[in-house]
Amino acid sequence: MSKGKSMDASKRIEMQFSVLRTAAAILISLVIAFILIATVSDNPGGDFVTLLTGPLHNSSRMTTIVSKFIPLLFTGTAICLVNSAGQINIAAEGAFFAGAVAATMVGIIPGIPVVIHIPLCVLAGAAAGAVIMGIPGILHVKYNVVTIVAALMINYVALYLGLYIILNPLRDPAAGFEASYPFAESTSLPTLFGNPRIHIGLILGIIAVIAAYLLLYRTGFGLVARTVGNNNKFAVYSGMPVGKTIIGISLFAGCLAGVGGTVETLGNYQRFMYTDFTNHGWDGVMLAVLCHNKPQYMPLAALFLAYIRTSADALNFSSSVPPEIIEVIQAVIIIFVAAEKFLAGWEHKAIVKNSQKELGTQGGE
Amino acid sequence: MLNVIFSFDFFSSILRMSTPLIFTGMAAVIGAKADILCIAYEGMMLFAALGGVLGSFYTQNLLVGVLVGVISGMVIAAIFAYFVMYLEARPLLAGLALNTLGSGGTVYVVYLLTGMKQNTSNLQSLRFPDVHIPGISSIPVLGDLISGHNLCVYLAFLSVIGVWFLINKTRLGLRIRAVGRNPEAAASVGINVKKTKFIAMILSGLLASFGGMYMSMGYLPYFTTDMTAGRGFISIAAQNMGLGNPVLTMLFCLIFGLAMAVGNMAQSYRLPSQFASMLPYVVTIIGLVVMGIKTKREETHIKKPTAGSSTEGLEEKA
Repeated sequence: MSKGKSMDASKRIEMQFSVLRTAAAILISLVIAFILIATVSDNPGGDFVTLLTGPLHNSSRMTTIVSKFIPLLFTGTAICLVNSAGQINIAAEGAFFAGAVAATMVGIIPGIPVVIHIPLCVLAGAAAGAVIMGIPGILHVKYNVVTIVAALMINYVALYLGLYIILNPLRDPAAGFEASYPFAESTSLPTLFGNPRIHIGLILGIIAVIAAYLLLYRTGFGLVARTVGNNNKFAVYSGMPVGKTIIGISLFAGCLAGVGGTVETLGNYQRFMYTDFTNHGWDGVMLAVLCHNKPQYMPLAALFLAYIRTSADALNFSSSVPPEIIEVIQAVIIIFVAAEKFLAGWEHKAIVKNSQKELGTQGGE
Repeated sequence: MLNVIFSFDFFSSILRMSTPLIFTGMAAVIGAKADILCIAYEGMMLFAALGGVLGSFYTQNLLVGVLVGVISGMVIAAIFAYFVMYLEARPLLAGLALNTLGSGGTVYVVYLLTGMKQNTSNLQSLRFPDVHIPGISSIPVLGDLISGHNLCVYLAFLSVIGVWFLINKTRLGLRIRAVGRNPEAAASVGINVKKTKFIAMILSGLLASFGGMYMSMGYLPYFTTDMTAGRGFISIAAQNMGLGNPVLTMLFCLIFGLAMAVGNMAQSYRLPSQFASMLPYVVTIIGLVVMGIKTKREETHIKKPTAGSSTEGLEEKA
């Protein structure tokens, strides 16, 4: 009984330290950011304040936070799902891009009623995303291909195939730059809160997060997926459908990333204009790290990333400090959160002390 | 167009494209032999590319520039190794972080030192020289093929021999392979596993640095933002295709370089270049599948214990 209690306490301390590590990582990164800003800025204090509170200065910037927040929900959740099943499937990058391309292919067709057109675009995006993220999963299960390598490769295939489709059959020569034909009127996403820059993708993103949470933590499929991720051998020997689960979760994650690409393109642009990766997939990897692969924390993590990205915009607007400083902050946060042994000595001491205390009281009884 | 494909220009274009891939591919070979999942090569290459430019600009001495570049790249490798080996960071995440750092940190350094944000094109930094091999350069066809390339092109091919020798013929190479194959067994015979992996990572960083420096001191005469453009990742794929064998890895780097050169040429002929650009990745995927089928068949026919296969090192618990 008391052994169980002390185990719980150790677990609690571990949890506390995982939060502490994240907080310490953010603090260290802010200190580094301040030093970096101080070295290049004429007004370091002002620029540092911009970095911290710039996004809150006016409603336009707060809208920007939300509009940056939406796509991150999708790719972040997608990576949480595949990571939970032990798959380092970073094809979310390609799936996001492919989703945008597929949505464009459907979105430029004129004369479809709104009620069908938007769902069709979303469906096309989801299907394209599922194909791109599904391939590394299938190759891993069927042919024992290393997932991360297959995913890296498939990202480039998605990129170049997508660019080919956009820049050849779908290219609008009248655009004056490299872009597709404009989307049909019937694809403009419904907006929320009367704000033309906040679209229905926000609701879809929240649904994606909830769906992923329910799938992982409230279904048998999710339990198998997490078992595969935690202890692959155990899952194999206990007869769980390991292969099917990996493929299934990769396809579902791909759907989410693809829908992310769809709403991001239709919600923010008049035509397809990407010429390279959008980096949303790699952002998703970072977010999944911050969340420990738990979708329920994704909104918070995505909000944080959207916030500091908006800070970067604000810095770019108001000072000469290069906004890429934000990337340095991100790098520092990821590496310290990822470092399991960072603060480990302290954590270990806390656990030992706690156990000693409990053993002591037990002995006294 | 066919006469273009068989021209000397096209041949040297393949070499130009392949050179950074070969250097970094060799870096990836060492990393894989030590069983380290490192994707931080982009970051190492970017910092080395910038370090080389800045070092050679401020001192106007190529050797000092190279030294600064190499140290810049190796520092990133050391940070990676320290976090992965001693702070037990998951390698994929440490790599992701350092690539992000390479992308943003280099822009910061460029701005801090030069006040520019995009590139260093107005710095008079030095380039690696072109090498005209005396004797060979005067032979009609062979001379044009072999002689007159950038110094780094030759160094890249030498690095293949160097890495092969290091891995197969030296004590250090044996140790690197031992800690990669079976760290417990290596430790039981007194090899310091962490230290050996650390050294392997530093050597890996050294090679990746040359890949980066070639980009800014040979391929182009200046540093630009994100100039490695995924070459670090392509090199990892080449290593994987080459099963960790330096010579095979070099061959796949050349195939990737060929596809890049074809892509460039297609672009200048206003043909859709995307298919050529896509080709190496499709080839890699097909190759991985074929290899997967082959190993699966071997495993089912001969029931042998699955001792550390070359792909095992790349698996990691997410």
